[in-house]
Amino acid sequence: MTQAEIKLCSLLLQEHFGEIVEKIGVHLIRTGSQPLRAIAHDTGTSLDQVKKALCVLIQHNLVIYQVHKRGVVEYEAQCSRVLRMLRYPRYIYTAKTLYSDTGELIVEELLLNGKMTMSAVVKKVADRLTETMEDGKTMDYAEVSNTFVRLADTHFVQRCPWVPATENSDPGPPPPAPILVISEKDMYLVPKLSLIGKGKRRRSSDEDAAGEPKAKRPKHSTDNKEPIPDDGIYWQANLDRFHQHFRDQAIVSAVANRMDQTSSEIVRTMLRMSEITTPSTAPFTQPLSSNEIFRSLPVGYNISKQVLDQYLTLLADDPLEFVGKSGDSGGGMYVINLHKALGSLATATLESVVQERFGSRCARIFRLVLQKKHLEQKQVEDFAMIPAKEAKDMLYKMLSGNFISLQEIPKTPDHAPSRTFYLYTVNILSAARMLLHRCYKSIANLIERRQFETKENKRLLEKSQRVEAIIASMQATGAEEAQLQEIEEMITAPERQQLETLKRNVNKLDASEIQVDETIFLLESYIESTMKRQ
Amino acid sequence: MASRGGGRGRGRGQLTFNMEAVGIGKGDALPPPTLQPSPLFPPLEFRPVPLPSGEEGEYVLALKQELRGAMRQLPYFIRPAVPKRGTTILIPKRPPKNTEDKEETIQKLETLEKKEEEVTSEEDEEKEEEEEKEEEEEEEYDEEHEEETDYIMSYFDNGEDFGGDSDDNMDEAIY
Repeated sequence: MTQAEIKLCSLLLQEHFGEIVEKIGVHLIRTGSQPLRAIAHDTGTSLDQVKKALCVLIQHNLVIYQVHKRGVVEYEAQCSRVLRMLRYPRYIYTAKTLYSDTGELIVEELLLNGKMTMSAVVKKVADRLTETMEDGKTMDYAEVSNTFVRLADTHFVQRCPWVPATENSDPGPPPPAPILVISEKDMYLVPKLSLIGKGKRRRSSDEDAAGEPKAKRPKHSTDNKEPIPDDGIYWQANLDRFHQHFRDQAIVSAVANRMDQTSSEIVRTMLRMSEITTPSTAPFTQPLSSNEIFRSLPVGYNISKQVLDQYLTLLADDPLEFVGKSGDSGGGMYVINLHKALGSLATATLESVVQERFGSRCARIFRLVLQKKHLEQKQVEDFAMIPAKEAKDMLYKMLSGNFISLQEIPKTPDHAPSRTFYLYTVNILSAARMLLHRCYKSIANLIERRQFETKENKRLLEKSQRVEAIIASMQATGAEEAQLQEIEEMITAPERQQLETLKRNVNKLDASEIQVDETIFLLESYIESTMKRQ
Repeated sequence: MASRGGGRGRGRGQLTFNMEAVGIGKGDALPPPTLQPSPLFPPLEFRPVPLPSGEEGEYVLALKQELRGAMRQLPYFIRPAVPKRGTTILIPKRPPKNTEDKEETIQKLETLEKKEEEVTSEEDEEKEEEEEKEEEEEEEYDEEHEEETDYIMSYFDNGEDFGGDSDDNMDEAIY
């Protein structure tokens, strides 16, 4: 784990779970697998707090445990999983586009709570949806269940590893930690529950705020004392499936940008057909025949078979090689080259970064070296048609930024420098790694800056929150316009200005984080795909 | 031996490779030597591309901020323990605050509020906040402690008002 990744994990854990969890989590990421006592001793926190922190981390799938020899249980943190927390809003939004508000809330609850039983999810989501509906209307549990089942069928949610129901013939002592199993075929099996009920609307708390002491709400409210029917069957969001969806989206939009809408629709159809049949890490999809594709095109698309064949031929001949032809049976067998597609996307990202950072002439040199693979200094100047001095300057800028590297080719066995070729080349994998590392640093900087801005204006923020609360409570008890006006004037105009600026800055920083995370996704997918092939 | 002159003999300044191969011609001006680390915020040559705006971007942004707030309220957010000081802490009525003191009092309120969270349940804390707000509102103008002084206002009375209030019994002598 690089320092940049650890720093970013530390910021994310602290922001979402507090300092204690952050301390334990970062310690585990740094030192690897550790038993409980070692963690408590090394971090100087009490055993009780370490246990609480570990509970939270395990609940959210950030830490796993294993029983080692001699009965020692060791805990291991998963750094990459912690970094996924940046992507939560994107997962939730995707669920919204695919399964509308119900799906959105299901995925949100699963992400916020880590692991949940189906009945708990359904109940909570139904309650939340009922809140947003008009008075008198409620959300039926059955509808939420249906959406849940659909999410499970398309693999967007999956079961967590569970304790196997073994029959212990020998009454030996139980193992120090449960050994969890997971089987491929049961991973998306939805238990047969008959969840009957409707969402409950929570009594609006505004009426109670006027000084009446509220009845003490127990922290874990259990309205019904019935046993939970699916106790022990926990579900979690399947992040890999979401990543597959993002990858497909990226490929389709790349095709749409490069060619036209129809080609992108064809590619989308092909990807959809391969969703369940092809594992997400495969270099290319299963071959699909042109006839199959024709039958599976979306209903509204009225293109004839010949036109489809022409499009497929065009796609297969394109130098980007997103689509490849693997045979001639069935009207032509076509595959989508997932690995090549990811490589093209990563390369496009690199080119775009070079262009925005160094200028379009540098970008021209970069693309040139990419295309020709290896070039000498003189050749770069000639091909790019850029004067020698500027070309040299640009090459060195990119070289020191590690976008371009030098390859030595000796002419003589003694590698004498005066008799060696020095060629400029782009190593996409290492450039992608360098850029990824930079992205982690960028996000860490963005988060730090946002926290700094918020801290600077803490007093003002709290004041405005108090004023808003006062106004809300006064409105609820029916105050006059003049009184409200008076309270609003407690915040002066320059203070309002300051608040506006703060809000704008925080929004910009947040939006930048989301943007950088998209780049991280592309680069990580490419690197992962490349490593799998080696 | 003869060739080892501590770098001062002939051959000083010769490189092991041909400079022209990497593109530095003879007589070309080399860039100035680097004497310090590069600046922390190097000057930007090109402005960054604007962020994507639009419905999707706005929605995801709002989601992100909402999630951040929501996660702080969940039981998974473990706050560092503060030393327990017993059950309910009543906040006494304070003497008047100036603008500088407001900072400190707000901070004091914050720390006390944090202790509240650890020790009592949420409802009591909200009740406290409402009481404070009411107290703050009412205390905004306290006649006796109007200016920034240590003395109540009646200290500065010069006795003009004394004796002029009683309208009856003017015959009685006033000592």
